[in-house]
Amino acid sequence: MARLSLHKVSKRYGALTVVDSLDLALEEGEFVSLLGPSGCGKTTTLRMLAGFVDPDAGSIALDGQVISAPGSVLPPERRGMSMIFQSYAIWPNMTVAENVAFGLKLRKLSAEETRRRVGEILEVVQMGALAGRYPSELSGGQQQRVALARAIVVKPRVLLLDEPLSNLDANLREEMRFEIRRLHDEFRITTVYVTHDQAEAMATSDRIAVMNAGRIEQVDAPHLLYTRPRTRFVAGFIGRTNLIEAELRDNTVGFDGVAVPADALGAQPSQGAQPSDAHRAVLISIRPQSVMLHRAPPAVANGSVVVPGRISQRVFLGESWDYVVSGEATGLKLRAAAPASDVHEVGTQVWMAVDPRHMVIVD
Amino acid sequence: MRTNRRFLIAGLSAAAIIRPRVAAAQELPPHERALHQAAQREGELTWYTGQLQAEPSEAVGRAFSERFPGVKVNVVRSTSQVAFQRLSQDMRARVAQCDVFSSVDYSHLTFLKREGRLMPYRPENAAGLAKGARDAGDTDGHFQITYLALYALGRRTDRVSEAEAPTSWRELTDPRWRDKLSVGHPGFSGAVGSWAIMMRKAYGEPFFRALERNKPQIGRSASDPVTVLNAGERVVGVAISGQSTLLSISRGNPLALIYPTDGTLMVPSPSGAMANAPRPNAARLFMEFMTSPAYSNTITSYYAESLRPEVPAPRGSRPLDSIPLITPTPEEVEKNIAEVKELWRDIFGV
Amino acid sequence: MTSSASEAAASAVAATALPRRVPWHTRLARIEPASLVWLLLALVLLLLVAAPLGKLFLVSFEERGTGAFTLANYAAAYGRQRYLDALFNSLRLGLTSATIAVVLAVPMAWAVSRTDMPGKGLTWAAVLGAFVLPPYLGAVGWILLAGPNSGFINVAWRSLTGATAPLFNVYSFNGLAMVIALTAFPLVFIFVKSALDLVSSEMEDAANILGAGTWTTMRKVSLPLVWPAIIGGFIIVFLESIALFGTPAIIGIPARINVVTTQLWQFFEYPVRVEVAAAYAMPLLLITVAMIGVQKLLLARKGFVSQTGKGGERRPIKLGPFRWVMFAWCAGVGLLAVGLPLSVLLQASFAKAWGRGLAFDNLTLRNYRLLIFEHEMAMTSIWNTVWFSAVAATAAVAIALLVAYIVTRRLVPMGDVLGFMAMAPFVIPGIVMAIGFYAAYAGPPLSLYGTALLIILAFTARFLPIAYANAGAAIRAVHPEMEEAARILGSGRLRAISVITAPLVKKALLGGWLLVFIVASRELSAAIFLVGPRTRTMSVLLYDLSEAGNFEVLAAFGGLLLLVTMVFVVIGMKLVGRDFMLRRT
Repeated sequence: MARLSLHKVSKRYGALTVVDSLDLALEEGEFVSLLGPSGCGKTTTLRMLAGFVDPDAGSIALDGQVISAPGSVLPPERRGMSMIFQSYAIWPNMTVAENVAFGLKLRKLSAEETRRRVGEILEVVQMGALAGRYPSELSGGQQQRVALARAIVVKPRVLLLDEPLSNLDANLREEMRFEIRRLHDEFRITTVYVTHDQAEAMATSDRIAVMNAGRIEQVDAPHLLYTRPRTRFVAGFIGRTNLIEAELRDNTVGFDGVAVPADALGAQPSQGAQPSDAHRAVLISIRPQSVMLHRAPPAVANGSVVVPGRISQRVFLGESWDYVVSGEATGLKLRAAAPASDVHEVGTQVWMAVDPRHMVIVD
Repeated sequence: MRTNRRFLIAGLSAAAIIRPRVAAAQELPPHERALHQAAQREGELTWYTGQLQAEPSEAVGRAFSERFPGVKVNVVRSTSQVAFQRLSQDMRARVAQCDVFSSVDYSHLTFLKREGRLMPYRPENAAGLAKGARDAGDTDGHFQITYLALYALGRRTDRVSEAEAPTSWRELTDPRWRDKLSVGHPGFSGAVGSWAIMMRKAYGEPFFRALERNKPQIGRSASDPVTVLNAGERVVGVAISGQSTLLSISRGNPLALIYPTDGTLMVPSPSGAMANAPRPNAARLFMEFMTSPAYSNTITSYYAESLRPEVPAPRGSRPLDSIPLITPTPEEVEKNIAEVKELWRDIFGV
Repeated sequence: MTSSASEAAASAVAATALPRRVPWHTRLARIEPASLVWLLLALVLLLLVAAPLGKLFLVSFEERGTGAFTLANYAAAYGRQRYLDALFNSLRLGLTSATIAVVLAVPMAWAVSRTDMPGKGLTWAAVLGAFVLPPYLGAVGWILLAGPNSGFINVAWRSLTGATAPLFNVYSFNGLAMVIALTAFPLVFIFVKSALDLVSSEMEDAANILGAGTWTTMRKVSLPLVWPAIIGGFIIVFLESIALFGTPAIIGIPARINVVTTQLWQFFEYPVRVEVAAAYAMPLLLITVAMIGVQKLLLARKGFVSQTGKGGERRPIKLGPFRWVMFAWCAGVGLLAVGLPLSVLLQASFAKAWGRGLAFDNLTLRNYRLLIFEHEMAMTSIWNTVWFSAVAATAAVAIALLVAYIVTRRLVPMGDVLGFMAMAPFVIPGIVMAIGFYAAYAGPPLSLYGTALLIILAFTARFLPIAYANAGAAIRAVHPEMEEAARILGSGRLRAISVITAPLVKKALLGGWLLVFIVASRELSAAIFLVGPRTRTMSVLLYDLSEAGNFEVLAAFGGLLLLVTMVFVVIGMKLVGRDFMLRRT
């Protein structure tokens, strides 16, 4: 259990800046994910935390003590951390028990103590019966559990995970996501988890740091990231959304023949010294799940914005319909998600209704 | 053989004193000319030899080709036992490759003659050989002495003074020569084989055991000790080839020959043409050549003894009747060589 | 339906349902050419591999001259203490050399594959040099360096320290083992480095993060992961050592060490006792098979997964100042294996008397001149070597390609037998192979003794495994769908092979050809029994020259041999790639 903080950490490879002045702080026992597309710098950040890569600028501190800074880096073996690798890195020439015991042996525990703790942790990850097997005899999921056991048994201060589930098939991934979170709750180790899969990040993390091009775009609890994205990137990356360019003028947001008072919106624009008669372009995010489709003009009583339109495309996804609706008189084109039973033919007229509280101003 | 040896020595000593003019090489006697023409059609000949080292053997081949243009000599030089092994492999496989065979092991040629493997040809030039050489050869003339091999002791002049040096074979068993001796191997060298037979005859098995305790460096050829001494690896050579030693001395190496009091080994070394020689005329021509003055001229320049009265002895060699000599009879060699080789291998381990 | 109608219907159905028997000429036309080729190849392999071995086995039970069955040969071969001693010496020598080779090569492989040690290019060059230098030439070089009284090293040692005993006596068991290890360690290096290259850095990272430093990680994770490769390398060096002839003959005789190969040579002395030699050679074969069996057994435990595939990402480990220690180790090995012997050999080749050292008055071109212009056999032997090796390489690659194709594409049900026969010579020491060929083909009725054909056949058989491993890898790299795509469009199989597959494997095959050529050109143990006086190869001539101990001419000839070899190595590197000899197929 430790507090981890990154302060203006940067890493450059030649002319390319891979991590750009990153700031992040983790509380004790917190589970934070670094989420982003390939090349956003999340793995490099993780490796800097582990000590495999030296930062070019900034510093990393563990419990207040600086462990990484340009020119002065504590080697990985002395950080007291643990890491789960994408390939699991289970040593094929050792049994499950020997793999898990490796770290304990290095800490010079007695044979009996080692055996006890190995047995315990294997029970926790439900691999107790397979202690004598070799990795080649295990499935992917089982190897993953061994990796977890090996990492946790040494009671690390920080646990680092590098896309650990990307090699598993979909069903197993769900199961292991749950497992990882369960282990975290049981042992409360400060955890940093790198992934490009939002579902994983959302299912496991206390907070998610969304990264793009070496920078953190937003750090927030998962549901806040979803409902209140603060940048265009985050809005587009987390879930699917409609991004509409609008104008904010006199506290009113206007786009494509729609005008909504700014106060009615779900997320307020950034507070600060914004003169109320400021006039600027903004981006509005509307989730497809928030766009209701009606066959007849609905009552406007609840304050929803209603726009008539026609279905221009549709795709059936099994659990829902994905409709693209073009506004009748305007250039507005919105994606709408509807339950499977809600069938509309292409070309028919529908009315889109959106509750303004589901509209979010994204910078 | 004893009587032969005395005649040999007498004849050669006489040759050393008389120095008549050497016949002009350009003028080919008629029998040689006829053979030359026939040999030219054959074009080459293969000569298995264990008598002289590679360099003098190649020189002999070149001298032959100079005298008889158009006939190349393929010199296959190895130690005598190996040469005989190759010949017997040829015979076993019924393949004829060798035209002329030369060895320092007399019993090789007596064996071949007995088996009918030698060409029944007496070279005309053999009549002009020094008496000793002529008499030591085959009575029917099917093999001739083409090399008078001497094997003695040698020393590094800068490491072993004349006073310190051993003067007999027997002294080699003295422990002060431990790690200082160098010798060939009877399994490879016919000469060392003959020497080992004579030593066993004179001193029995204990001689070899005592010699083994002195840990000599064992090579293969009887000329090996020359290089070993030159390198400074050991300081006393045993059963060292006199010819190679004299040649090396002439090139400036700090060596000296010692003629042992209990007898320098002398091996009249024969050569013969093969009955199934693939190039019989070239083979005959080569036999004529080896019994001619031109051959003796060539080999004396490499410090081998002269076989013709007209050709003077090499400079620096001692007259043969002034040193005690020992020589095995062909029967002795043939009967004992296999046994001695095994004895050696058992005692020395290689 | 009436019964007759139903009968008619039934027979009508029967007539259309049962196909007529396919006429034999149609069936013949449809036979895949591959089946015929398979038969031909099986015949060739039988002649090349099975017949010599079989004959060897049979001959060991034959009485000389009569051919009657007897066990006397085995009694003779094992009846004498000396012969048994030679066997034990060989085993001991093999184990010692292999151990030394592993100790030398494993740190080098680790340093080159996984760390940031400087001078990797130099290390590669040293390994390549040691691979190219024939073992017997290295032996001569070490005689010049470490003869107890006259070797340069010992002379220098004595003058520096005033000691009387030599620093290193090459004429000793350890001397012999060391010289062999110095020429054989590249094999271990290649094996272990290839395996290390496949280990993902994450394996080491996982150990690091759990608290293991660089050395602990190397000891507990990196090296154990390549344990199969280390064992494989050990066994290969062991097998090479017990099958060597030149080095034990040149160093072993003065060192008074008799080994199996030199003892076999003695059985070929007059009178030739092939039968006893055959009986004596059998254990060599059995030992080899046993070693392979032991290796399989050791590695059958589930813990050792063979490393295949691409491996993972690799980052070089930073060694800090210690990388200079590793560099010193690699440089040291390179010096001992290549630098020192080569220098003394070069010096001797230009010297009048090598013992006099490097001095202006000691320089001469006489040795080279003697060989090039005056020695009848020298130039002939070079020519022999080149064309024997070239023909053997061509034959081996051709056979290997056909067998590899048939086996990889599974064209015939019993194809694996062919593959097995193609790899079998790998376990047969060269000298045993040669004796088998001698027994089978040298005498009547074929009487191939002393002919070029016999040597070429023996070389082809001996180096077939190298060609086969190479061809197999090349064919496996071409996806069968490439040919299938051509065939579905109408091309016959042979055409598909020549137009699609052949160009794709050309480069790899060239590498295989060159490799066989180079290894064949310096082969001694197999050649020594089979050459006649006119068909002597360079290696055999070199051995003959070593008989008289004339090291200057010997060194000059060695220089010529190296020159010829290097020409082909450079050609290989230019055409196929810098590491064509050291890639593990």
